Amino acid sequence: MTRSTIKTTTQDHHIAKLTALAISLHVLEAVFPSPLPGVKPGIANIVTLYVLTQYGFATAAWVSMLRVFASSLLLGHFLSPTFVLSLSGSILSLTALFLAQFLPKKYFSVITLSVLAAFAHIAGQLLVVRLWLIPQTGVAYLIPIFALAALFFGVINGLVTYKLIRINQ
Amino acid sequence: MNAIKSQIKPLLGDWLVLIASLIIVIFLFQSLWVREPASKLKIRLADKVIGTYDLNQTRELHIHGPKGEAIISIQQGKVRFKQSPCANQYCVHQGWLSRAGQVAICLPNQISLQLMGAKSPYDSLNY
Amino acid sequence: MRFFFILVFSFLFTSCVQKEPIHNTQSYVFGTLVDITIYGEAEEKSQAVSNEIIRMFQDLHNRLHAWQPSEITTLNQAFARGKTPVAIQPDVATMIADATALFRQSKGAFNPAIGGLISEWGFHKDEFKPIQVDDHKIQNLVQANPQITDIVIENGKAFSNNPAVALDFGGYAKGYALDKALAYLREQGVKNALINIGGNIIALGQHGDNPWRIGIQHPRKPNAIATLDLPSGWAIGTSGDYQRYFELDGKRYCHIIDPATGYPVQNIEAVTVLIPPQNNAGTLSDVASKPIFIAKPNGRNEAAKAMNVENFLVIESEINIQVSPSMAKRLTWSDKDTAKHVAIIQP
Repeated sequence: MTRSTIKTTTQDHHIAKLTALAISLHVLEAVFPSPLPGVKPGIANIVTLYVLTQYGFATAAWVSMLRVFASSLLLGHFLSPTFVLSLSGSILSLTALFLAQFLPKKYFSVITLSVLAAFAHIAGQLLVVRLWLIPQTGVAYLIPIFALAALFFGVINGLVTYKLIRINQ
Repeated sequence: MNAIKSQIKPLLGDWLVLIASLIIVIFLFQSLWVREPASKLKIRLADKVIGTYDLNQTRELHIHGPKGEAIISIQQGKVRFKQSPCANQYCVHQGWLSRAGQVAICLPNQISLQLMGAKSPYDSLNY
Repeated sequence: MRFFFILVFSFLFTSCVQKEPIHNTQSYVFGTLVDITIYGEAEEKSQAVSNEIIRMFQDLHNRLHAWQPSEITTLNQAFARGKTPVAIQPDVATMIADATALFRQSKGAFNPAIGGLISEWGFHKDEFKPIQVDDHKIQNLVQANPQITDIVIENGKAFSNNPAVALDFGGYAKGYALDKALAYLREQGVKNALINIGGNIIALGQHGDNPWRIGIQHPRKPNAIATLDLPSGWAIGTSGDYQRYFELDGKRYCHIIDPATGYPVQNIEAVTVLIPPQNNAGTLSDVASKPIFIAKPNGRNEAAKAMNVENFLVIESEINIQVSPSMAKRLTWSDKDTAKHVAIIQP
C-alpha cells in the first residue's frame, strides 16, 4: 500500500476544523424547532463568512458546499427537498458573496456580506419552492416573513463574524 | 456585553445596506400582506386542486395525503390544519388563517390550504 | 446598532395583520334570505344580537303571513264574513294605520288590501307556476275595490266595510322589520351594522373606515348593475319583476299588481329607491318603490314626489334606464356600456 503523497498543510487542517465546526453548527441548529419552516438563524454561515474573509472565496465555497452535503448526509436529508432547498440557498448565497467580495472594504464590512448572503439564500430557497415544490402564487404571503428573517439573522450573524475576526486579529 | 457592543462599528456602506434592506422588507410587507378578509378556501393535494370551499360555514374536512389523514377545520371565516400526520407539525402550528392570500402548507403530506379574497365590490346586494 | 434592532422589532409588531371584526349571520326568514352583518363588536355580542333579530323576524313572519295561518289571515277571514269587529294586537293596529297613511300618500298605488288579487294570480305560494287567470274573477275583484281605508279600528278591534279586503303586507313587512331591527341594534349599543332582508337593506354606521357599499342587482343578469354607498340610517329597496314572477306565452307576469287594473305591471324591470334616515326609513324603502313601479312612464316623477322620494332608479330595460338627479351622483355603474343608456329624469 503506497503511502498517500498528498501533503496537508496547517492551513488545510485549520480549514478542516472550520468545516467540521460549520457542519456541527448546522446539525445543531437542525435539532432546534423553528416557528416557521425555513426560518433558521443559519449560524453555520458565520463560518462561511469567516473563511471568506480569512482564506478567500474559493475556500469559503468549498467549506460551504462540504457543509451542505455532509450535514444532509448526517441528518438523513440527502437528496430530499430539504437538501435541495439548502443547496439552492447556499449556491445563490455564494454567488452573492462572490460578487460582494469586490465591494470596497473601506465602506463595507462583513456585516454587509452577511446581510447580502442571507437575502440571496432565501431568494434561492423561495425560487425552488415556487418553481418546484409549491407551484402556485401562494408563496407571495411567505416572502415578507422570509425577508425579515434574512435581514434580522443576516445582521446578527454578521455582527458575530465581525467580532470573531476582530478577536482573531 | 457592552464592551463587545462598543467595539462594533458598522461602516458607512454597512449602514446603507442595512437601511436599504429594511426599506425593502417594509415594502414587501405592505405590498404582499393583504388585509382583505378571505371568503374562499382552495385545498390542494400534491398540485391538484381537490376542492374549493366557502369559508362562511363551520365544518371539518378529512383529507388523505401520502403520509396519512389530515383534518382541516373551517370556522366562520377562518381555517386551519387541526390535525396532521406529519412529524414537525409546522402546518398545525401555523394556526388560523383568515386573510386573502394566506397559505398553510403541509409539505410532507403534500396538502396546501390557500385562502382567496372575495374581491367583492360591495358588502351586500340589493334586489 | 441597538437602535436598528429596536426599529426592526417595532416594525414587526405594527405589521401584524389583524382580523377584521366583522360578524355575519345568514338565515332563511320571511320566505327569503336574511343577512345580518355586524362590525366592530365582540363575537358573543354580535352572535347574541343577530340571534335575537332573527327571532324577531321569525315572529313577525309568522304573525303577518299573508296566506299561512296567522293574525293576518284570521283578520282577513273575519273581514270576509262581515262587520263584526275582531281584536287585533296594538302593533298590527299601528301597521294598518301607517299603511293607510301610505296608501293615501301614494294615491292608492300602494294598496295592501288586494290580497285577493295577489292570491288569484297564484302568488300566495312559495313557488309559482304559470297560470291562466280567469279574467272575470279579476275584474270582479277590481270592481269590488278593496282598499285599506275600508278598515276601521276602534278600541283595539278592527272590522272592514268591504268584505273583499284581504290584507297582504308583502310590500310592507320586510321594511317594517328593518326599522324594528335598527331600533333594537341602537338599543343594544351596536354602532355599525347592515341588515338585508330579501334585498331590502338598512345601514347603521360604517364598514370600518368606509361607508357600507351596496350592489344593485341587474334585473336580468347574475351580477350587480351598479354600486352605491349607503350612509348610516339610510335604507334601500327595490321592486323588481325578476324575483317573484312566472312566464306564460312569452310574457312575464310579476308579483306587483296594479290595483287599478288587477294585472301585474308590465314593461318595467326594476325600481330602486333610496330613503334618508327617519323613523320608518326601512318601511319606506319597501313601500315607496311600488307606486313608481306601477306608474305610467310619464307619471313616475309624480309618483316619486308623492312619496317624498328624491333618489330613485328606474330600469325599464338594460338599454333604457332613468335616474333622478341626486341618485345619478350616487351610483357607480359596473359596466361602461350600461352607463351609456342612463338618462337623468329632470323633476
